[in-house]
Amino acid sequence: MMPSFTPLYGAPTRPRDTSGVIKFTNCLLVKGNNLVKEDLWVSSISGKILNGQEILYEHRTAPEEIVDLGGRILSPGLIDTQLNGAYGFDFSVIPEEGTVAYSKGVLRVNRNLVATGVTSYLPTLTSQHPEVYQKALQYLGPSGTARDAAHGSESLGAHCEGPFLNPTKNGIHNATVLQAPINGLPDLAACYGSTNLQFPSPIKLITLAPERPGALPSIRALTERGIHVSIGHSEASYEEAKAGIKAGASMITHLFNAMRPLHHRNPGIFGLLGTASSWVRKPYFGIIADGIHLHPTSIKIAWNAHPDGLILVTDAMRLAGMPDGTYDWTNGSRIVKDGALLTLEENGKIAGSSIQLVDCVTNFLNWTGASVPEALKAVTETPAKMLGLGDMKGTLKEGADADLVVLDLQEVVGGDKKLVVDEVWKFGMKVFARAEN
Amino acid sequence: MRLIIRDDPQTASKYIADYLIERIKAFKPTPERPFVLGLPTGSSPVFVYEHLVQRHKAGEISFRNVVTFNMDEYVGIPRDHPESYHSFMYKHFFSHVDVNPGNINILNGNAPDLEAECQEYEEKILRFGGIELFLGGIGPDGHIAFNEPGSSLKSRTRVKTLAYDTILANSRFFGNNLDQVPKMALTVGVQTVLDAREVVIIITGAHKALALQKCIEGGVNHMWTLSSLQLHPHPMIVVDEDATLELQVKTVKYFKSIEMVGDELGFRQKLPRKRDSLIDEVNTQAPKPKANGIRLTVPQFNVSRSASPVLEPMSARLTDDEARTLISVDALEDSPTSCMSARVVC
Repeated sequence: MMPSFTPLYGAPTRPRDTSGVIKFTNCLLVKGNNLVKEDLWVSSISGKILNGQEILYEHRTAPEEIVDLGGRILSPGLIDTQLNGAYGFDFSVIPEEGTVAYSKGVLRVNRNLVATGVTSYLPTLTSQHPEVYQKALQYLGPSGTARDAAHGSESLGAHCEGPFLNPTKNGIHNATVLQAPINGLPDLAACYGSTNLQFPSPIKLITLAPERPGALPSIRALTERGIHVSIGHSEASYEEAKAGIKAGASMITHLFNAMRPLHHRNPGIFGLLGTASSWVRKPYFGIIADGIHLHPTSIKIAWNAHPDGLILVTDAMRLAGMPDGTYDWTNGSRIVKDGALLTLEENGKIAGSSIQLVDCVTNFLNWTGASVPEALKAVTETPAKMLGLGDMKGTLKEGADADLVVLDLQEVVGGDKKLVVDEVWKFGMKVFARAEN
Repeated sequence: MRLIIRDDPQTASKYIADYLIERIKAFKPTPERPFVLGLPTGSSPVFVYEHLVQRHKAGEISFRNVVTFNMDEYVGIPRDHPESYHSFMYKHFFSHVDVNPGNINILNGNAPDLEAECQEYEEKILRFGGIELFLGGIGPDGHIAFNEPGSSLKSRTRVKTLAYDTILANSRFFGNNLDQVPKMALTVGVQTVLDAREVVIIITGAHKALALQKCIEGGVNHMWTLSSLQLHPHPMIVVDEDATLELQVKTVKYFKSIEMVGDELGFRQKLPRKRDSLIDEVNTQAPKPKANGIRLTVPQFNVSRSASPVLEPMSARLTDDEARTLISVDALEDSPTSCMSARVVC
């Protein structure tokens, strides 16, 4: 009858000071669509969330440390499924110094990123020549195996946004590197590198356009290998998009952007959110809530159509946090940064964003009237589920990783709310605390 | 018997929490000499726990050197089932305070040998020197712990089959599915409660008014097991106004006046002299005569009252030699009896 429990930290006779058990108290836990006034127990040794009741009754262990959060919100760590770069580093650029410099750059991003509350993410590559993927991907695979909080934010695997996209919806991707996977898997292997498609793959998610020749068999081949597929940068009609979902795609990359708009006689990719039947699921969908890519009302419509599928992404690139000005980008292009607005110099197209994920949550809160837990779900539970990691990430359930964010909900002028990251915990260790003003 | 009447469940619960905290503080528990506290579950005590937790978080009371014994637990539901009393205690009390987890005692309803579990529980209470204060609630039928009507007033910790009414009433916590409701429970006995040096009971709500009436104004009766409290040297019942609905006005007035007179003399009912501290304080605590020279003969703590119940079994008082020469009670009962006719000599 007794639920089984594997001791996480040695024999119960160990002295209390090495139990590593931490109890968060006086906090509001994000659980489903509710904020619950409960305690949370974690282990700094296993880096996981514990069952406090089990610890108390079975292991007779008192918490080694009690963290009083003074009524603040305790959320699972945020997950960004589309981050192209930050802090001057671009995942799509192999530095001239070589791959060693690249791996150092990734580590630098990880260490900085964790302070923004993003405890895990998908490093995202825009459309590139094959050699970039074949050099870069080995550094972008899942990085959490060491379970070392000092490594900062954790990659859950790479997101390859391209190059099997539609050249007419290239956005700021260089149209000359785009291809069609005409032969299916061999073309994918030739591009990403055949070892990178073998299990366990460093790739977690691939964005492609389902209407391109060979795309549907490619989707099937990828999902068989445990790589998730997202529809994006696409001219797909509603029917073509639906075929993509039937083939195994489970997401839409930055909904509304780089795709046909909703037309009443051809609802396009957006139409998937209106579809619900036993044989085709509504896909998850990314939303860039930076106030530039989308009108708040569009976001609200999408959210109302499929609240459990909405995933907030930053689509941020390496200029995030840099001063305004004109910067060199890949393939000889240049980007103009003016505040949060990033545009391509040659044609004025929106070129990614420089927003932080927590600010996307704040925007979403204020624009849609969603509750705080509903908004946080879009950067925790929903992306984790999309990636098939619902038991490990994005949740405060027992056994999940103790990746946590302490959030302060502030009122700003005009009655708007603002979420501020006060503390970040990774694998049960505090890795960031906001300096007191 | 002390009966404390408060306006509503909140203030009644606060009274108990304050009382409990004063008692623990006065006891000055240490790891070697912990305060042994009996604890209930149920809806009435929830507010008491809330107050205790609040006061703990305000840094006013520590439970570090308190040993707890819970009254009861269902048989056969997982320990982390939301309706288990383990879960209740975790949710309402243990997870919020600094009780040493090693000092928590709750009957294990999943023990391989339930009888042995109950026996061990009694023995464990004895090892801690008995329970200092047992806090309890009652059911609408006057039951204390799971000692439902008809339970022996001498009962000890044991396995108890639940009454059909109780199972029906509980089904609301188990998805209205009777099959899911536990049919048995482990519970301390009435005598286990009475052995505590002090018993404090909270009773709130109109639906418990009849039970309160039977237990206070009626005689000692196993159909209202709480009435056994009348035989305890130090019982206190704290109730809200609703719970007094069935009492006689006289009864209510009497108990209220007792509290009032005590208050006027600066002699609150709150802190009875503890047996351990009695000798030290007996001289200093004698009430000063009133200024008008008239000395009211308000009953004071009784210095000569008997010590708390002896908590060890009788056999423990015998030397080993004596024990050996005695015939066990079992042996006597088991001796074969022959029928009368067999003794007739032909």
